[in-house]
Amino acid sequence: CCGLGMWRMSSLLSFSILFLACLAGFSSRLFAVIRFESIIHEFDPWFNYRSTHHLTTNGFYEFLNWFDERAWYPLGRIVGGTVYPGLMVTAGLIHYMLNLLHITVHIRDVCVFLAPVFSGLTAISTFLLTRELWNQGAGLLAACFIAIVPGYISRSVAGSFDNEGIAIFALQFTYYLWVKSVKTGSVFWAIGCCLSYFYMVSAWGGYVFIINLIPLHVFVLMLMQRYSRRVYIAYSTFYIVGLVLSMQIPFVGFQPIRTSEHMAAAGVFALLQAYAFLQYLKDRLTRQEFQTLFLLGVSLAAGVVFLTVIYLTYTGLYAKIHIPIIASVSEHQPTTWVSFFFDLHILVCTFPAGLWFCIKNVNDERVFVALYAISAVYFAGVMVRLMLTLTPVVCMLSAVAFSSVFEHYMGDDTKREKPPQEKAEEGLGPNVKSIVTMLMLMLLMMFAVHCTWVTSNAYSSPSVVLASYNHDGTRNILDDFREAYYWLRQNTDEHARVMSWWDYGYQIAGMANRTTLVDNNTWNNSHIALVGKAMSSNESAAYEIMRSLDVDYVLIIFGGVIGYSGDDINKFLWMVRIAEGEHPKDIRESDYFTPQGEFRVDKAGSPTLLNCLMYKMSYYRFGEMQLDFRTPPGFDRTRNAEIGNKDIKFKHLEEAFTSEHWLVRIYKVKSLDNREPLDHKLRSVVPRQKYTSKKVTGLLYVCT
Amino acid sequence: MFGKLFISLFLLFIFHNDPADTQKKKETLMSEKVTQMMEWTSKRSVIRMNGDKFRRFVKAPPRNYSVVIMFTALQPQRQCGVCKQADEEFQVLANSWRYSSAFTNKVFFATVDFDEGSDVFQMLSMNSAPTFLHFPAKGKPRKTDTYELQVRGFAAEQLARWVADRTDVQIRIIRPPNYAGPLLLGFLLAVIGGLAYLRRHNLEFLFNKNVWAFSALCFVLIMTSGQMWNHIRGPPYAHKNPSTGQVSYIHGSSQAQFVAETHIVLLFNAAVTMGMVLLCEAATSDLDIGKRKIMCVAGIGLVMLFFSWLLSVFRAKYHGYPYSFLMS
Repeated sequence: CCGLGMWRMSSLLSFSILFLACLAGFSSRLFAVIRFESIIHEFDPWFNYRSTHHLTTNGFYEFLNWFDERAWYPLGRIVGGTVYPGLMVTAGLIHYMLNLLHITVHIRDVCVFLAPVFSGLTAISTFLLTRELWNQGAGLLAACFIAIVPGYISRSVAGSFDNEGIAIFALQFTYYLWVKSVKTGSVFWAIGCCLSYFYMVSAWGGYVFIINLIPLHVFVLMLMQRYSRRVYIAYSTFYIVGLVLSMQIPFVGFQPIRTSEHMAAAGVFALLQAYAFLQYLKDRLTRQEFQTLFLLGVSLAAGVVFLTVIYLTYTGLYAKIHIPIIASVSEHQPTTWVSFFFDLHILVCTFPAGLWFCIKNVNDERVFVALYAISAVYFAGVMVRLMLTLTPVVCMLSAVAFSSVFEHYMGDDTKREKPPQEKAEEGLGPNVKSIVTMLMLMLLMMFAVHCTWVTSNAYSSPSVVLASYNHDGTRNILDDFREAYYWLRQNTDEHARVMSWWDYGYQIAGMANRTTLVDNNTWNNSHIALVGKAMSSNESAAYEIMRSLDVDYVLIIFGGVIGYSGDDINKFLWMVRIAEGEHPKDIRESDYFTPQGEFRVDKAGSPTLLNCLMYKMSYYRFGEMQLDFRTPPGFDRTRNAEIGNKDIKFKHLEEAFTSEHWLVRIYKVKSLDNREPLDHKLRSVVPRQKYTSKKVTGLLYVCT
Repeated sequence: MFGKLFISLFLLFIFHNDPADTQKKKETLMSEKVTQMMEWTSKRSVIRMNGDKFRRFVKAPPRNYSVVIMFTALQPQRQCGVCKQADEEFQVLANSWRYSSAFTNKVFFATVDFDEGSDVFQMLSMNSAPTFLHFPAKGKPRKTDTYELQVRGFAAEQLARWVADRTDVQIRIIRPPNYAGPLLLGFLLAVIGGLAYLRRHNLEFLFNKNVWAFSALCFVLIMTSGQMWNHIRGPPYAHKNPSTGQVSYIHGSSQAQFVAETHIVLLFNAAVTMGMVLLCEAATSDLDIGKRKIMCVAGIGLVMLFFSWLLSVFRAKYHGYPYSFLMS
């Protein structure tokens, strides 16, 4: 009875700890909502929100067949077939359920709070996975870590309505079910794993990580001669059912049987069948030597194929880094140690210890977590955004390390001494133990403090609304973006076409509801290059491009007044580079530099730059503006320079709107002028003779 | 050689008193020059020139070929590190041209070293090296015939674009493949295979968990300390302030890092990991209690010391970070 009581006690404790972890995770993601309001953040979430809105108003099938004519003018975009629909369907389903229960919530609020809710689910699935790998205590620690670790919060604060927010839950849950099915060898768990995998495929392109890691696990298990029927059943079921399910997503389609990143899974499947067949034969045949040799040959060949595939994907990845449009996105950069420490803090130093313990006490599922850690750490090193896939495994392994320490140092000696004289000399003494425990707890507290600070300072800005702080700590809200988008929504024609750099495409479509030329779904490089060319040409050349694209308004972001560094002039070189890639005859990057190779906006800047459309639109009328008495008029605060071209006049454009802090400027593209009057004198004809017709009929004829 | 001599003698004889004599002479001279240049180019793709040759083959008027010249100072006493790198790229460019199927006598690549032709440097009133100049087949060199080294760098691809721009000769850069990596890999594989073969009756070490765990840890530590960033970006090892001579090993900004710094971080991370492992070993091993106590104290010491040190390094780089522990 006592044991049962203990069990009840511990499960109650586990339950409440898990609940608290979820609660902490949820509430620490609410900084942005509390400081600003319930608003969708950044760029991609705006598109997701817009499509979710479309889904809830028009229904699922309408969403699948949605052709969006408001994007990529004049091409349009087939949305249903080019998105991972999992996120929108999840949010739509929750909205539907709530409305069914007569809890009327706006779809926007569902979208805003989806990621924090799913972070709680992630904590639970991480708990389950870690419990399978190590023990209950480590599981609880892992759940607490993942709930608040900045590496995951960075993608899942309230308002960040993006695929990754739900995908990490799906990832962890798939891995949990996989480990469970390898452990039990039951088809039930394997099918569960497939369904979870299906959800993951519908949610995020990162499913490729799963479909490579699980085969790798099986392959390594075979190499380690840990092959068993359980592995055979789990993987065969997973591969076949998972393959069929993943092909149901329109965006994925036939990729799983065509592209190189899925080939490893197929290869391992074939290998597993061959291996199982040989195992079957082994009982019937006697030529042991031959068989082992054969096995060795097969596994070597498979290994070579596997490595080649990985090498190919690696080089492919590497080549992609050098394409300008990919290189221009800061998320695709390699990771410095500072980012690792910033996102993981104490966990980054302690998780190798967890890895050490796992490999020292290896079993089937710990092989899995070791492979998970090694592959994820490699990808996180290559690309900073893949820090997200590393974070869960780091939490799990750090939890293993901390929990092993706590197990030995926190445990009550009385319980252990019950089996008498098992160890002659017991324990390190209560003093040492309590000091170690105290210090470890202090480290964890520092971790919690760090996480909160990072979340509050680095990851909770909506970037649609900016805030600046005065010296006395009071806050100014800069709401220029929404002001400008709302202006567009209210004051322009419903079918007006707005040209801007691709970063703002989704926001214009989402907030202003106007047609854009390019947006953050950068599928058509030449179209983007055309916009880049228009921005970097002089006004008359740009006018021709804009006429050919039917542009009505041009929207730019200018940060020179408030010192906002993410504005279009600072991104301008990327526009030039991308334009040069497609139109090398017309645009040259070197023309925009001074002879010394500097990019300057002041008088010393290159004349091509000082007369290009982007420069003129940014600094129009800025030369008249004196921001304070220490600086001359026309002083750009972002680049700390007095601008070089103060006398800007437009011929084909006119200023339509400039927001309060000049952050957003909108120009109207004028329609074609009337023909210009000829500049030479009109020929004056001196009538030789006054002649008036007396024929009335002729006059009448003219009048009618 | 004999034939050429004969032809020139023949030409001399025939047109001795012809009015078109000067024109023909010019052509002869030109074809001689081209032959000479081709002969040099076939020996080495970049022709080495001194003052004499420069005046005769580049400066002197009858010429129907372009010459791209790198003015440089490669002698060791000049201590020009950039020149050496630029020279390598220039060689790549010239070789790509020399061995391409489109090779003609329209363009030649040449180099003038300061210590062999300082009179050329004086003649062109040039005072910096390396400098790339293009001497067009017709007319005088213009401003654009000087390569903008500061702006475009000296990568062979950029040079090729400039040459294409100036002469209409497209050169596809073919870099000699670097066999060192695959060779090294092959050698390593051979060594491992050989060892495995030698010890084929005793493959226990493959099942040694310590070896595997240790190599996994090494890989993880290498990645988390940002070595991949170093590999892709190629930062300097450390920075030496030219005015004070002070060497800084830690980059001041959180966006970048030095190689030395990543090594330091790797060591710190490893020390913290070792501390955690020691703590667990101290609680579970069979050693006598004194040793275990030492292990335990060493473990917690390592964790605390190196973590707070790491934190202080991070704080120095990430401006405005408020927390520190033990040391600021």
